[in-house]
Amino acid sequence: MKLDARPSQDSVTAGVSSLMKPVFLWEMLFTLLSAVLTGLSASLLLILLVFGWTSVQAETGSPTSGRLSLHALDGRLLQQAPLLDTQVSTYVSGLLARVRVEQQFSNPTGEWMEGIYQFPLPEDSAVDQLRMVIGERIIEGRIAEKAQAKRTYEKAKASGQRASLLSQQRPNIFSTSVANIAPGEHVRVVIEYQQTILYEKGRYEWRFPLVIGPRYIPGTPLVAAASSTLSGGSVDTDQVPDASRITPPVLDPAEGQINPVAIEVSLDAGMPVTEIISQYHPVIEHRDIQGTVNLRLAEGEVPADRDFLLSWRAPVGMYPKTAVFTESWKNEAYAMLMVMPPDQEHESQRLSREMMFVVDSSGSMHGASMTQAKAALRLAMSRLREDDTFNLIHFSNQSHALFPQARSGSKANRLKAMRFVDGLRAEGGTEMMPALRMALKGGDAGGRLRQVVFLTDGSVGNETALFELIRRQLGESRLFTIGIGSAPNSFFMRRAAEFGRGSFTYIGDLGEVESRMLALFNKLEHPAMSDIHIEWEGQAPLEILPARIPDLYLGEPLLVVVKSESLDGEMLIQGDRDGTVWRHRVDWPSKKTHEGLHKLWARQQIKSLMSSTVGGESVEVRRQQVLQLALRHQLVSAYTSLIAVERQPVRPLSAPLKGGPVPLNLPVGWDANHVFGSLPQTATYGPLSLLTGLLLMLAALWLQRRKAS
Amino acid sequence: MMRWATLSLFLLAGICMWQGVWIEAKAWLAQGLISNAWARSDSADDHIPPWSWADTWPVARLAVPRLDVQRIVLAGVSGRTLAFGPGWVEQTVLPGKDGRVMIAGHRDTHFRFLKDLVSGDQLLVQNADGDEVSYWVTEVAVVNETAGWLMGPSTVSELVLVTCYPFDSMIPGGDLRFIVRAQAEPLFPQGEKSG
Repeated sequence: MKLDARPSQDSVTAGVSSLMKPVFLWEMLFTLLSAVLTGLSASLLLILLVFGWTSVQAETGSPTSGRLSLHALDGRLLQQAPLLDTQVSTYVSGLLARVRVEQQFSNPTGEWMEGIYQFPLPEDSAVDQLRMVIGERIIEGRIAEKAQAKRTYEKAKASGQRASLLSQQRPNIFSTSVANIAPGEHVRVVIEYQQTILYEKGRYEWRFPLVIGPRYIPGTPLVAAASSTLSGGSVDTDQVPDASRITPPVLDPAEGQINPVAIEVSLDAGMPVTEIISQYHPVIEHRDIQGTVNLRLAEGEVPADRDFLLSWRAPVGMYPKTAVFTESWKNEAYAMLMVMPPDQEHESQRLSREMMFVVDSSGSMHGASMTQAKAALRLAMSRLREDDTFNLIHFSNQSHALFPQARSGSKANRLKAMRFVDGLRAEGGTEMMPALRMALKGGDAGGRLRQVVFLTDGSVGNETALFELIRRQLGESRLFTIGIGSAPNSFFMRRAAEFGRGSFTYIGDLGEVESRMLALFNKLEHPAMSDIHIEWEGQAPLEILPARIPDLYLGEPLLVVVKSESLDGEMLIQGDRDGTVWRHRVDWPSKKTHEGLHKLWARQQIKSLMSSTVGGESVEVRRQQVLQLALRHQLVSAYTSLIAVERQPVRPLSAPLKGGPVPLNLPVGWDANHVFGSLPQTATYGPLSLLTGLLLMLAALWLQRRKAS
Repeated sequence: MMRWATLSLFLLAGICMWQGVWIEAKAWLAQGLISNAWARSDSADDHIPPWSWADTWPVARLAVPRLDVQRIVLAGVSGRTLAFGPGWVEQTVLPGKDGRVMIAGHRDTHFRFLKDLVSGDQLLVQNADGDEVSYWVTEVAVVNETAGWLMGPSTVSELVLVTCYPFDSMIPGGDLRFIVRAQAEPLFPQGEKSG
């Protein structure tokens, strides 16, 4: 059959005239369509050209002033910001450290600048000092209510005065802002804080975090998330001025590294120390005649891209058993007390236990999370002994227990459990409440230590109700939470472990399962000191923090801070380990004094107020209490900031103020692509097909027309 | 000869255009079937496929009151899924739960409306359990596709909508993404969350 498509004159008239002629339907249809779409295609083409062009332009950008024109990890061209150089000096005295962090903001450009730097600090740091140093001039910061401090800062910034502001974004995340840095100028911001040194069985550890990951690195304490959301949306948005500060720009590693840091530590342990180890950064050691050890980074300066971790040990046989420091401040007496419970007789009778394993098998655990959970459970099973009893519960929509009652850790039972674990599948919802209730109820453990090990990613919305359940039903059980997967709700798990008087372990990937689980089992297998209480007979009542003393696991010391009008009196510490009562009379008061203990006390008090969500005092009442404490003790908190303003304006108001957030390095070992993958592909071939079709149509029409003419 | 060339050109043009139209048509027709499946989902565990051979199921409803936009969100972001509706990135938390939720959609179909969102817009997300979370847009930005950390965990409740950028580009597979970030109401203002 002959396909007779009559040549038509031009597209529009062709469409109309061909209606009256016997032509093939397809041709008629497409000629018509083409008429309508020709215009459209032209405009689409135009749009494509314009957009294609602009996007190419935006991508290439124009590298301006060398080092200052940088790209973020996400490809954005970073705003010019002042350069930052940090110097950290720590003085460690026994169990306390006084840390000075000097941040130097340099402005190598010809414009006036503002710098905003977000940085981590240890979460128990009591930040109490801010000084702004410009050349020879020193401007002391003062503590003020957070919103008010922010207003003062903004006002000074607008009127051209140099100013700096230090605020807490999270208990372990702070930010410094410096306004009106003159061209070519350096402004130093000196921050000081106090903290306690981590001490466990002869080993001391001081950790200084240097960078905040692009996400919040799980495993670091995140009381954080809780308190920021707790402070209420509106307050939070007022206090966290711009979103860019919560997620500071991260420099593309291809651009090199920025933010150099120098670290110095002066170790005055009050005794000879051994085994000084800097985990990630080589250091140079120098001991002086008094026995103080001075350390500094071997490389001088390193980029701020991983935590600095320093540990040292007391010589064997010289492990401090008790340490008491006191301070009088404003007619009040403060003290910090460290007591190490006596060592158990070597290879102490390993306690027989009743272990309840609870594993989340809901859909959110699917994939890698479930693999990790299974590996962890298998390891746990292999550690069970005949005289232990155990049971295993898994839950999604419903909870299922392996045995109706806890059974002995015999080989047959363990094998049964392993098979049960192998058969677990992650699907369904996360009905945590019944499983938790089942695990905590348990029945009589026959004098055994009852430990609940709870593996989950914690993706639940009813945290408050769950905390309440744990608090009411805990009884003699102890709850140990294990956070699994790349996105666990660590706020929930950390708090749950606190309420459950156990501990929280985070397992970030399969490779970590073994080491983390072994560390946990070491704790679980040794009896904890429980029911610890402090008896005080003295002239004045004693306020003890933490109010509820947690159980102490192997090697952990008792650490409390107290406050009273007078420390004259007798103190007796009592605890129970495996049925044996431990009594300790504190040699009190010892003569050692230490400055700044009241700040540690206040910081502890603030922490306990900030986490008092359950039992619910209203947020406003709590805010007032925290504010009062923080102002009195001069501390930075969720509701207070440090602010320093220079009286004399320096920036002529005609000159604009540039700058912004200082970009951060990507933490070592981080490969954002690798960790999270790329964002999904989100375009279809639809428009492209349509366009191609239209272009072909145009070509066809053009051919037809040429033929006609 | 010339006539044949013209004819085949017309034919080819027709095929191409039909393909383009079909992608669009499929995208919107499927939303009807998906809506039905959504209406029958009473729980987040129902997993009702919108048609018998579908390997995905509706997980949430996304609504933008200001733009009068409503989309049913499917599980997963495979090419096959995204052809029928916006998809929930499964490594992020389930819509309606606390944490970071990411939903991706095609710029030329379901997520074209993203370009009209501005800071302060309200986004409503409801899951099959009936949990509903209100988010407010805080940031609209263009990022590189390598910004994978946006799929990482977060300590705040956040909704991230993703589509390809530029909106009117003809070529799929570019490496730029248009993102809309929105923050939820505080998790615990006072007491329990409703829903």
